[in-house]
Parts: sequence; C-alpha cells; structure tokens
Amino acid sequence: MSEDKIKTTDPRLRSKLRFYHRKKITITFFILTGICIFLMGRLTHFMIFCSEHYAEAARELHERERSIKAARGRILDRNGAVLADNRTVCSVSVIYYQIENPEEVIRFLSQELSMPEEEIRKKVQKRSSMERIKSNVDKETGDRIRERNLAGVKVDEDYKRHYPYGDLASKVLGFTGSDNQGILGLEVKYDSYLQGSKGKILTMTDAKGIEVEREGERRMEPIAGKDLVTSLDVNVQSYASQLAKQALKTKEARGVCIIVMNAKNGELIGMVNEPEFDLNAPYELCEDDFIGMEGKSEQDVLNAKWRNACINDTYEPGSTFKIITAAAGLEEGVVSTDSSFYCPGYVVVDDRRIRCHKIAGHGSQDFTHAVMNSCNPAFVTLGLRIGAERYFHYFDAFGLRKKTGIDLPGEAGTIMHKLENVGNVELATISFGQSFQITPIQLLVTAAAIVNGGTRVTPHFGVKVVDSGTGEEKSFSYPVEEGIVSPETSETMRYVLEKVVSEGGGKNGAVTGFRIGGKTATSQTLPRGTGQYISSFLAFAPAEDPEVIAIAIINRPKGTYYGGQIAAPILRQLYENILSYLGIMSYTSQEE
Amino acid sequence: MAAENIERTRGKTEHHVDVSLWFALLFLLCFGLVMIYSASSYTAFADYGDQMYYLKRQAVAAGLGLIAMVFVSRIPYHFWERFSLFGVLASAVLICLVKTPLGVESHGARRWIKTGIPGFNLQPAEVAKIAVILFLAVMICKMGSRIKTWKGLIVMMVAPGVLFLMIWKITDNMSSALIVLAIAALMVFVASPDYKKFILVGFLGVAAAVGLVMLVKYTDVFDSFRATRIRVWLNPESDPDDKGFQTLQALYAIGSGGVRGKGLGQSMQKLSFLPESQNDMIFSIICEELGLLGAAAIMLMFTILIWRMMIIANNAPDLFGGLLVTGVISHIAVQAVLNVAVVTNTIPNTGISLPFISYGGSSVIFLLVEMGLVFSVAREIEYRGY
Repeated sequence: MSEDKIKTTDPRLRSKLRFYHRKKITITFFILTGICIFLMGRLTHFMIFCSEHYAEAARELHERERSIKAARGRILDRNGAVLADNRTVCSVSVIYYQIENPEEVIRFLSQELSMPEEEIRKKVQKRSSMERIKSNVDKETGDRIRERNLAGVKVDEDYKRHYPYGDLASKVLGFTGSDNQGILGLEVKYDSYLQGSKGKILTMTDAKGIEVEREGERRMEPIAGKDLVTSLDVNVQSYASQLAKQALKTKEARGVCIIVMNAKNGELIGMVNEPEFDLNAPYELCEDDFIGMEGKSEQDVLNAKWRNACINDTYEPGSTFKIITAAAGLEEGVVSTDSSFYCPGYVVVDDRRIRCHKIAGHGSQDFTHAVMNSCNPAFVTLGLRIGAERYFHYFDAFGLRKKTGIDLPGEAGTIMHKLENVGNVELATISFGQSFQITPIQLLVTAAAIVNGGTRVTPHFGVKVVDSGTGEEKSFSYPVEEGIVSPETSETMRYVLEKVVSEGGGKNGAVTGFRIGGKTATSQTLPRGTGQYISSFLAFAPAEDPEVIAIAIINRPKGTYYGGQIAAPILRQLYENILSYLGIMSYTSQEE
Repeated sequence: MAAENIERTRGKTEHHVDVSLWFALLFLLCFGLVMIYSASSYTAFADYGDQMYYLKRQAVAAGLGLIAMVFVSRIPYHFWERFSLFGVLASAVLICLVKTPLGVESHGARRWIKTGIPGFNLQPAEVAKIAVILFLAVMICKMGSRIKTWKGLIVMMVAPGVLFLMIWKITDNMSSALIVLAIAALMVFVASPDYKKFILVGFLGVAAAVGLVMLVKYTDVFDSFRATRIRVWLNPESDPDDKGFQTLQALYAIGSGGVRGKGLGQSMQKLSFLPESQNDMIFSIICEELGLLGAAAIMLMFTILIWRMMIIANNAPDLFGGLLVTGVISHIAVQAVLNVAVVTNTIPNTGISLPFISYGGSSVIFLLVEMGLVFSVAREIEYRGY
C-alpha cells in the first residue's frame, strides 16, 4: 500500500507538528517519568523500610501454628527422688489433603491403635487441615506408625505426666490435665514454675489452609518447666503411708491421715491421706469410692476421692487441743506446775454437768498429772479461770484463727464461736477441744509453735525450683512469727507433754531410746450421737528440743477407738523407723 | 537531539526498525505471560483443574493482538481518519449493549459483551479508549488554532466527556472512564500552545480532590460506598477483612518481597490470599517474587517504551500522526502509573490493569492495535524522507 491510495479530503489533517507540540510531548514524557520516579519511591518505602512489618504480617497470615508441649518440670523429694516425671508419648493425626491412600491409612491406624475403622474413617474423611486421631499413644506404637511413613499421617511427640510412685502422696502432689495444667495439689500451686512455655511449629499454608510443601517448617523450641524440689522424703512418706494403710485396713477406718513436719522450719516431710489414689489414673473409680456417696454425681465422687483431709477438712480436735488450753493458762499465769486440780469424775458448769472420761474421777492431781490424765474437769476449770475474752485473745495470738498458709490449694479455715456467744458452757467445751473445728495442719502448726519455743512456722512443701538446664535456682522463703508463747511456757509444755508419753495416756507412743512428747485425743465425729470417733495422737521428738512433730488421725475406726491405743502406736512405729534416719540422735537415759 | 537521532538513522536503511521499542514491547508482553502463569497457576488449578488456564487464554489474545498490530502497522494511519466519528458512536452503542442481554457479568460488574467467539468477551471501554484517541486526533487537526480558546477546549472535551459519563455510569467502571478522560486531557494539552489554562484546571482538580478527601476524613458529610473507599485508602488497616482486604494483601505481598524478592514462582500471596493476583494486582506479585529490583526493571521498561514513542511522536510526519502516538502514550502511561499507584495504596483502590502484563484479552488486543498505529506512524517517518 502506498500513501497516494489514501485520499485525504481535508488538508488540515496534513498540517505539520509545530515546535510547541514537540515541547509539550516532551514535557508530558517528563511529567510521566516524574510520576514513575515518585512511585518507585513509594515502592522503596514499602519494600525496604516497611518490608519487615509487612513480611511479618504476611507470615502470620500464612503460617499455621502447631504447638509443641514444653516438658513439665519434675517434682523431686528432698533427696532428689523423682515424684513426678514426664514420659514421651505420641499423638497421631491425619492431614486430609496429604493422604494418598485413605483405605490403607484407615486399616493401618485401626490395627495399630486398636480403634474401630469407622471412627478413624470419619476423621480421615473430614476435610479439615489436621485431624487428631489419638493422643497419648505410647512411644513404640508412635515410632512404628512413623516408620511406615504413610502420606498424610503425622506423629507428634508429646509428654505425659508420670508418677513413678503411683499413689504415694497423691493428694499432695496432685496431677495434671491434658493441656499440661495442674489440677490438684502441688501441680496446681507451682503450676507457673512447672509449666514452662510452649514451643511452636509453624507451617506455611495457602488461604485454604493447605500446606505449602516448599516452604518447610519453622520451629520455636519450647522452654521446659522448672523442677520443684519439695521437703517431702520418699522414705518417710512411704513408711507413713504403709502404717496408714495398715491402720485403715485393720481398723476398717474411713480414712487415716499422718502429717510429719519439721518442727523448727515448717518443712513437711510426709503427708499421708489414706485412702490415696493412683496418680497415673486419677479418674478411675472403684466400687469402694461410692461408699457413702449414693446419689452423688461422678464428679462429686472424684472430688471426694481427691480431697486432702489434712488441709481441706476440719474436725473437732478433742484432747490434743488441751495443749493449747494449757499453754494459754501458763501464759495467762492462772496455772503453774504447782497448781492442783480435783476431779470427782465430772464438773458442773452453770446448769450442765460435764463428765470426765474416767467416771470414778482422777481425784486430786497437779497440773502435770491433769495433762497426763487428759482430765476434762481440770481443763474446764483452767478454761474458766482464763475466761472467754482472754481465751479468745490466746486463740488469736496462737494464730488459730488464720490459715496456716500451707502451699497447697483449698486450705480450710477455722470454724469457731463468736466471742459474744460464748458462755461458760461453751468455754468449758472449747477448753478440752470440742464445739469448734480446725484442720489437722492447723493443730499441728500451733502445737509446734507451743513446743518449739514460740515460733509459728508456715508449713510448706516447696523448697526451691531449679532450672534443670541452667542449674539456676530459686529458693522459697516463708513467713515466720516468733514469740507466740514465752520460752518458759514452751519449756513447761515440753516437760508436761513428755510426761504424757513417758507415764501418761500416751504411753503407747513411747519410742525406746528417744524422748518423745505428745498428746492423744479421742473425739466424736460430727454430728454427734452416731457412735463414731476420730482417734488421734500428736507427738514430737526429741522432747527437749523438738526437731520433728507429727500427727496421726484415724477417722471412724471400728472396734477400739481410743487415740492412746490405736493412734499412738502408729506414730511410735513411724518414729522408731524414721528418727535415726532423719538424724535425730537417740537419747540414752542415765539410768540405763 | 531526539530528532537528530532519527535523522542519523534515516537513509541508512529504508525500513528502520526501532529496536528499543520492539524490545520493550516484547519484553513486557512475554514477561506478562510468565507472570500471569506464576500468579495464576495455583488458583487456575484450584478453579479449573488446569494450571495454564489463564496463561493459554492470554497467550491466544496476545498472539491475535500481535497479528492485528502488524496488520495495522502496514496500513497508512491516515486511512483511519474517516472512522473517527464512527468509532466514537460505535463505542457508545457498544457501551449501551452491556445493559442488553448481550452483556456479560463477571467479578460482580457488568462490563463485557459477548463477541460470539467462545471464551472471549469484549470490554467496550477498551474500544472507547482507542476511539477517543482517533477522534481527538482528527478533531484537533480540524480545529486548528481555535483550540487556544476556552470554547475550543470545552468543545474538544464534549465527546470524551460523554463517553466518560457513559463508561462510568452505564458500565460502572470509573477507572476506565477516568483513563478516557485522562487520554483526552493529555492530547488536548499537547495540542494547545497554552499552559495557564491547564495549570489552572489541574490546580482546581487537585484542590477539589484534596478538599474531598479532607471532608471525608474529618466529617461525616459523605457516607457512600466511595467515601468508605477513601477512608479505607487513608487507613487500610482499619478494615482489614473487608474493604481494606485487597489493599492490605497487596501491601503484604509488596512488603514481603524486599529488595531481591522471594524468587520467581515463590509468592505466597498468590495462593488465594490476594484476590485478582493475575489481574489488577499482578504488580504486587511481581514485587513479591522479584523484589524492588524486578519492579524497577518493569518501570524502566515502561519508561523506555514511552520514551521511544515520544521520539516517534516528535518526529511524526504530521500533527495527526503525532497526536495519535501521543494518545497511545497517554493511554499506556496513565494506565501503568495508576495501576502501580493503586497497588502501592497511593490512590484509592480502583480496578485498573497493568498494560501488557495483567490478564485480560480485550485489553491486550486493543493495546497492541494501538501499538500498530504507533508503528504505522513510525514507518511513514522513513517513507516520507525528504
């Protein structure tokens, strides 16, 4: 084609470009280039200076997070024995979009995990990014599944809490839930130390959640929890546990509690609550657990089974509480070792006649013998001498009204009369440990304060937490209150209570070669009139300078129910075995 | 100096080929196909079971476009002057056809009409762009020096103004409408010896835009769809899941590219995160995969393309040819600039495709036809000689 074939009717269309046209075209070009440079500036701004911000936001959008459990800190006894540990278990999951042969996967998993095929099929066919088939699979099975290397089957390692001693100190240690959280006992109290922090596996996915293979995975390692070193002693605990089990069986009792504490610093060396439960299967119930729980839900039965009677339940302490009344009397100066009491077998308070356990009466007796005899009329007299207001003053001063502050969850408070409601009769009953309720740990801590020279300690298990990786330690300290009673009162009480064991009602608690102080008690269960009793014995050693103090409580024994006869032998046997072990020197009397 | 350049080459060969222009054009076309494949293969497979779904269609369109381009480049450009009025009227009719049963709806807007060729629908706005270029080139030449007056300017803008309103209101496509207006404005700017009027109009336009944005930002006077769009533009993170979603996703892509990018094919955002990743948002995928350097290379290619066309326009045998080329420059440059501006959230989000690179059959065919006009003008530079 040539130009002359095109007939142009209008010559104006052949007009030439003028200079200003060229100038303007050039200007237009430079304006556009200028805009391009400006936009490059914008790009530089986003791609260099804001790059990290947007890249991070994008990564968050693209990444799917799978958490890696942190190894939970162990719980150790005072000598390093492991009370709570972790076991590696596996969890098996399937990823829908990666499965190549669903039938094979279903058959293989069903066989390995001994699960019904339908159950697995349902999960395999679910169009989710990841479906958990089973967790807590033991490591061998997990390894076998992993070795088979089926497309779309993922085996993740996981930790499961394991308690090597089974039911030992179950109500103290507690257990954990599926999410590594403490549920009971020390596991709850020290959860923040034990837990550690979760790690993450980050996988890139597209907008529909499908993994993008080429991007690989990013791992953020978990931080293991810290180990908790407790004051428990596995040997003491085991021995106490054995004695408690024996008593539970022979006395067909509802429960047996034993607490062993360092009388000077409050470290708890043992705490037994029979019946204990298996920490490795805390949710399993047996028929016995339902006794007396008719019509209760399974959860209620479990809660009852997990209850730590030493701290969660209150009881009427009975005669062991006479330690407190005696100490209050000594502090108030209304009684001394020279004082004498007369017991005709009863005492009349206002219009009430309160009987002594010895119907014939103890006759004339000095203060020491009144304690040795555990004579109710003598203590009623003493209580009335102190008077309600002063008695309440000591009740507070000894710390009985506040909680002990033990490092276990759910400590129960004291249930006590109001001062304005206390008449002579109430005061009389309080004097020998009735008509109010405290926890066993409260009684033990208060008694410890009275015999150790007046120092009220905070009972505790937690000694320190240790980072097993770095060896970094953090020791715990607990509040201590001094001067609860004067040293003189304390000394008198030690003397009197040693007499109780050596010559009085606590004779069955005597340990050959050791000076033991103690007090027995036999109290009725509440409500009264069921003919059920709680027998207890509180004892400390060595009597002249108490290192260790313990209490044994038998709840509703059948047959003989006197504390001096059934509870005292328990502590005797315990002390026979643990005193030298704990490094408490035997005392050889000069006469021998 | 640009003129000298042509002067030197003239006479050496009868059929001078502008190597730089060809290179930039083919580079952008091929690069566009590569990027369409990269950006779309994932979603194409998910949606159509064929990774090359978009690539194949775009390659066919680009092939047809190249044939059309060569064909048009062989026809002396004066041939087209008789169709100037017809073109404008035809595009007006085509725009109206969108509302008839011939119209095709896609992406929530009715902007296409059926062509009878299966799989290819025509976007009348693309026809309107080339029609306006041709129409104005003819009109300006006929008007001569009267263009200096206000009246001349206003008369010149009547037809583009009507098309602007039609495209905006009938096909609900404000971005294409604005491009038509911008092409017309730039052509008139080049044709007129005057500056003051343009500076005044430009200043008023900028002031109006700033005023509008300020009103939207600080008052509640406007509460419409477009007002929300402006609010989201000012702060895309205020509505990350809805209105600001696409903008934010584009920024994620751009930002995560960094200087060198993640590598071709390595974009994460194209995995269904960024809507229209092979289309209006393809530039952000380029940024993510090829980084700032890749983005700069693309910008450079566009600049070379425009620069070579500017030289052709300046050396055109007559004003008509020069204006045709100017129109094509305006079209390509304005569209490219606006696309990058949208992707970088420099202006509010509006659907503008990146010339030669974004997926879109009508767009690439008409752009190549326009390039054909440019080559046709370039050929006559040599033929006319002295």
